[in-house]
Amino acid sequence: MQFNIRNSTSSDEELTMQLTDEELHVGLQYSLTNGLPALREWMFGLLERAHGRHKGEGWTITVGAGSQDMIFKGVNALMNPGDAILVEAPVYAGTLTIFQALDAEMIEVETDGHGICSDKMREILENWPSSKPKPKFFYTVPYGSNPTGSTATLERRLDVLALSREHDFFILEDDPYYNLYFGPSNRPPSYFALERDQPEVGRVLRFDSLSKTMSSGLRVGFASGPEPILKVMDLHSMAVNLQPSSFSQMIVLKVLSTWGYDGFTAHAARVAQFYREKRDVFEAAMQRHLAGLAEWVSPEAGMFFWFKLLLNEQGSEHGEGEAEGDSEYIIRTTALERGVLALPGAAFYPNPRKTPYVRASFSLLPEDQVDEALRRLRAVVLEARATSKQARSSEPEVMLTCLASASPGVGTQESK
Amino acid sequence: MVNSLPIEFYSAFLSDVAKERKPSPIRGLYPLELRPGVISLLAGKPNATTFPFTSVKLTSRSPTDPSKEIETEVSGLALAEGLQYGPTAGLSSLLEWVHGLQEREHGRRKGEGWRVSIGSGSQDVIYKAVATMVNPGDAVLIECPAYAGVLPMFQALHCDLTEVDTDAQGIKSSSLRSILQNWPESKPRPKVLYTVPYGCNPTGMTATLDRRREVLALAREYNFIILEDDPYYFLYYGDAARYPSYFALELEQAEVGRVLRFDSLSKILSSGIRIGFASGPEPLLQAIDMHTAVANLQTPSLTQAIAFSLLDAWGYDGFKAHTETVSRFYREKRDVFEGAMRRHLTGLAEWTAPEAGMFFWFKLLLAKDGEEGDSESLIRTKAYERGVLALPGTVFLPRGGKTAYVRASFSLLGEEEVEEAVKRLRETILEARGV
Repeated sequence: MQFNIRNSTSSDEELTMQLTDEELHVGLQYSLTNGLPALREWMFGLLERAHGRHKGEGWTITVGAGSQDMIFKGVNALMNPGDAILVEAPVYAGTLTIFQALDAEMIEVETDGHGICSDKMREILENWPSSKPKPKFFYTVPYGSNPTGSTATLERRLDVLALSREHDFFILEDDPYYNLYFGPSNRPPSYFALERDQPEVGRVLRFDSLSKTMSSGLRVGFASGPEPILKVMDLHSMAVNLQPSSFSQMIVLKVLSTWGYDGFTAHAARVAQFYREKRDVFEAAMQRHLAGLAEWVSPEAGMFFWFKLLLNEQGSEHGEGEAEGDSEYIIRTTALERGVLALPGAAFYPNPRKTPYVRASFSLLPEDQVDEALRRLRAVVLEARATSKQARSSEPEVMLTCLASASPGVGTQESK
Repeated sequence: MVNSLPIEFYSAFLSDVAKERKPSPIRGLYPLELRPGVISLLAGKPNATTFPFTSVKLTSRSPTDPSKEIETEVSGLALAEGLQYGPTAGLSSLLEWVHGLQEREHGRRKGEGWRVSIGSGSQDVIYKAVATMVNPGDAVLIECPAYAGVLPMFQALHCDLTEVDTDAQGIKSSSLRSILQNWPESKPRPKVLYTVPYGCNPTGMTATLDRRREVLALAREYNFIILEDDPYYFLYYGDAARYPSYFALELEQAEVGRVLRFDSLSKILSSGIRIGFASGPEPLLQAIDMHTAVANLQTPSLTQAIAFSLLDAWGYDGFKAHTETVSRFYREKRDVFEGAMRRHLTGLAEWTAPEAGMFFWFKLLLAKDGEEGDSESLIRTKAYERGVLALPGTVFLPRGGKTAYVRASFSLLGEEEVEEAVKRLRETILEARGV
């Protein structure tokens, strides 16, 4: 078997990779539950370089069939149905389904342009009812959060780490955009790196993904953290899906070992630069068309803009909460009529609410379509403002119902 | 016209967890993207131009002429699809191919109340099917001995495993009938039966047509779903014409929809590629897909794209020819192994030759005073000391317990190694008998 890849430093050059007979054999056979040893080894090296964590110091790595697979198993390893957990809000909608399936009591911790609001978290924990078991873990996407695009600052991260020690909970660090960071160069270290400065390590369970840098269709992701937890996750794998695809792992291994760590870093930097340019194009169009009509913080990682539609003319200072309007209604009615779709923010909140926020993905569209999409969105907001004083009829309810029933739930995957 | 059980029929079969799953609010929006002229900012998909891969080429032996090689290439749109997130149930190209395969093999036509979902190996979809129907603590019917790999999933759900005996003709439908007839009235009836109909792992037995028909009749009479786990379907090498699958046979019933079938590519294409599929009633597949959406999103697109390119290049006839080559290979392996068994274990062990799959299941005749003995301690100590390993039968008993049976796999060893292994086993048994 043979495949071609772009060179990590220049996209014009191609490299041809040929799997040896031995490599192909390994790729075609059953392998170990926790992943191909050579791939795990490579990953140990990468994490050591990126996060300063050395092999043999009480942590290990398991390869999963994408990071969602690992997060699902990590969550199942740590919590019982009905347990209380801390979840940043808004939060990646794909993990909400995991928590919902376990009937988790999701305690929302606010975020802002600097990531997780650790002071709010402190408040929640200090006012925790004494009769109620403390939360087992806190789930967060620390770089380029999906949907907000914000990155937690160093200070916030240190606060959260201190709180996790104080109140004894795990931090589930879901970090698919770690390599898609394009903000200021003094990036904060990961939780996984920062916990080394704590009196003891072992409260961070980290999830890495190759979906944004190598391919989302390969389904290869990693969990790194305390050995006893990963062991339980491996037992889960044995019962449910045995192992991630050896074939996918072998392809990944071949590319990564050919590139080496420097090649991988160079490739990741090029990918981040690609998204940075996409972000700039998108933001310029936002400024042209939505200044005064929406509020946003420019993302520093990832591939999403999260912005508040200012649906009332007075602006956001007047009226909070539901008075600010509901993006879901707007998207499904006027936006659709005008030919533009974005994701209503409500999907990203653990507990149901109305919100004027929307998420727009800037990963795929070319410049002219971005411009047109945001021009249409402008018209949508202006129209909504014009009609904002009219009482809304029961129509939206009816429409939502029929949309829900027309979509039994099998379609293109919402991705991270 | 095939009469399929109605959608409502399955609500009684769904587990609490499956019932509680709500469709993703996000995916409800995706149909809106299809409206002409709409620009969508919805999809959280990475831009595929950032992925390093530009083409994948695969060389495989021609299924009809092993001296020839076939080159298949995944590039362009197919590669783009393979590198990107894809549909929960599987890539449409591969799904289409599998529908065609099932129609040819089992006479089930598309659009008649069933469909297919691709899983990350058949274990993945079996697990999801079980979780979709079985509540913790529920009673489950399971053939005994049974594939050890499924036992942990039933155990994880704390199932009350009701063992159904098997013999050389496969599952004993008479035993199943008597279990069901004598089911305590106060106890909820089982919703599923798990069985491996061809070349059962570990026994190597294949269920006969009569047995299959009776099990199907019982499924109707006592209202349960047959989980037909059939990874060795294509590894049948018996002399008799092959029996139709449960999935095919249920077409003879008054209505279809009580068989959920699992196929695997692990034994015929590659086990490392992790591709299997579930075929059965739409409402159950829907529930399985909703589990996938939460647990692992989808089976890798790339392995699906690669498998499809290969299967498509082979065509159904090529695929069939390939499976025949594979099953002949295992038949020869079986013959070699049985030859060695006859030479060394005659009078020391009892077996029925398997007609599918890759395992010999045999009883060590350790008997002293009517006691059958326990293979486990013997295998773990004496056999190991003598340098031969096999799997003690107890790991295949759903409820555990002592047994004199052993499972030996004949898929990998060369003739000389088989000879030596069986010879060592002979010595082990002789020693245990105190000869």
